Amino acid sequence: MFRFMLLAFVIMCGLTPKAYAFDSDLLTIGLADDTVQITTGFNGSRLTIFGVKREQGDLAIVVRGPERRVTVRRKGQSLGMWRNVDDMRFRNVPSYYDFAMSGIEREIAPAILRREYGIGVDSLNFDALGRNTEAEIRTFREALIRNKQMHGHFALEPEKITFLSDEFFRVDFDIPADVPTGRYTIMTYLFQDGRAVGERKTDLRIGQVGFSASVYRFAHNNSLLYGIAAVLMALFAGWLVNLFFRKE
Amino acid sequence: MQIYLPIAEMTVPAESILLLGTFVGFLSGLFGVGGGFLTTPFLIFMGLPPGIAVGTQSNQLVAASLSGVLAHFKKGNVDFKLGGVMLVGSLLGSVIGVSLFKLLKHMGQIEFVIPLLYVFLLGSMGLMMFYESLSSMLKKKDAEGDESSKLMHHKFFASLPYKMRFPRSKLYVSALVPGAIGFLGGLLVSIMGIGGGFLLVPAMIYILGMPTILVAGTSLFQIMITTIFATIMQAITNHTVDLVLASMLIFGGVVGAQFGVRFSRKLKGSYARFLLASMLLIVCFKLAGDLFIAPTELYSTEVN
Repeated sequence: MFRFMLLAFVIMCGLTPKAYAFDSDLLTIGLADDTVQITTGFNGSRLTIFGVKREQGDLAIVVRGPERRVTVRRKGQSLGMWRNVDDMRFRNVPSYYDFAMSGIEREIAPAILRREYGIGVDSLNFDALGRNTEAEIRTFREALIRNKQMHGHFALEPEKITFLSDEFFRVDFDIPADVPTGRYTIMTYLFQDGRAVGERKTDLRIGQVGFSASVYRFAHNNSLLYGIAAVLMALFAGWLVNLFFRKE
Repeated sequence: MQIYLPIAEMTVPAESILLLGTFVGFLSGLFGVGGGFLTTPFLIFMGLPPGIAVGTQSNQLVAASLSGVLAHFKKGNVDFKLGGVMLVGSLLGSVIGVSLFKLLKHMGQIEFVIPLLYVFLLGSMGLMMFYESLSSMLKKKDAEGDESSKLMHHKFFASLPYKMRFPRSKLYVSALVPGAIGFLGGLLVSIMGIGGGFLLVPAMIYILGMPTILVAGTSLFQIMITTIFATIMQAITNHTVDLVLASMLIFGGVVGAQFGVRFSRKLKGSYARFLLASMLLIVCFKLAGDLFIAPTELYSTEVN
């Protein structure tokens, strides 16, 4: 099956007309699935990306979840008890971030370029809101990244890009069970001698489907009815089991 | 088995949730308390957001309290008139509580205030009940509320207006007293995700001087209506009621509650109160310890 998919993919790539924007046709990217479906039994998933690059160079692939505002809080001791005493808000924080590289970070592209394309956790450019000193921002930024990494929502280290031939490659990203939902973008960059020569954008949707999705939609689109339904379900359950036990 | 919660948007082990529900249901049937004081901290400990824990817990309390109410109603142990007066207070309390919860969350203090409130409430109630039950056990007599109606005859309570007669409980008291007890209960449901039975039960025994036999059924009746109201309100304003999580807690809970009710017939009042007091104190010490122990990670994040 996998071989067949690859073959189909290769044929497809071969047929791709060379009429794309100047650098897009250096790269072709395909997802094994363009949606990650979250069902009731969802316990994480694997995102497989196939690609073809038509020139020499190093690759970087970046997976980003929808951007959010995040508050980072710091605990301190007051009266011997630990509670939040300080906070800082950031915007443009990707709710999920993972990346893969074909070489060593420093060698692929210079830091300034990595920052421009957001390659690597340290290159992410989310901004602190409000007036803060550089040192404070750095501390809170590091804490934010550390927290996200701890929850498995930011990559700890790059995934490996596997080359099946000189041109064909494959990457597997592990998706955790509590992955944030929404529209994801997958950016693929081709670097030559520290310059970006090609890039490709691919969309990915991660969302609930089936029963799970219905419950979510019900709760958000018709919250009064949802609340009443929740109560009725609870009352029915309480009554039913009571009846059942009383008969014994 | 892992199961995905559609509203919490995360995966939890189904077995742990079911087990928690059953154990809490057992306590609910045994003592006439909702058992939320165990569920809410445990759900938060499992990584669920406090909002979801509190909102969903109010839904589970509906089921747990109904099966308790039915069991007590069958034995004629519910004072509907007194429960109704308490309800007026508790509905007001839960409206105010939901706003307070939102405010504390915005200030980043909800994860500090919830355990602190638990420590304070569980500690004081636990100690009081512990002392009372121990002394009545040592005296080898069951203090069925007769000696403890003292408080109600205190000048302050006796001087309050709007006196009402509650024939079922054989009480003639100001409606403000059960109303205020209910108000506290409503606050607890919406801020802490607990029915407040562990507070209502002693308050009804020691302050109102209600016959102990009626206390469990009446408090459960009051809790049931309050949690119905709180569930609908949480679903509308905060979208924090997770049906899948609630179903699992309920399934465990209703089963456990039946065993609790049966077991409660074999247990003398003072022994039951002694056991409940010990449990409250254990949870209290655990939570108090966590407040004082330095966390390994000082920083936390919250998506806005």
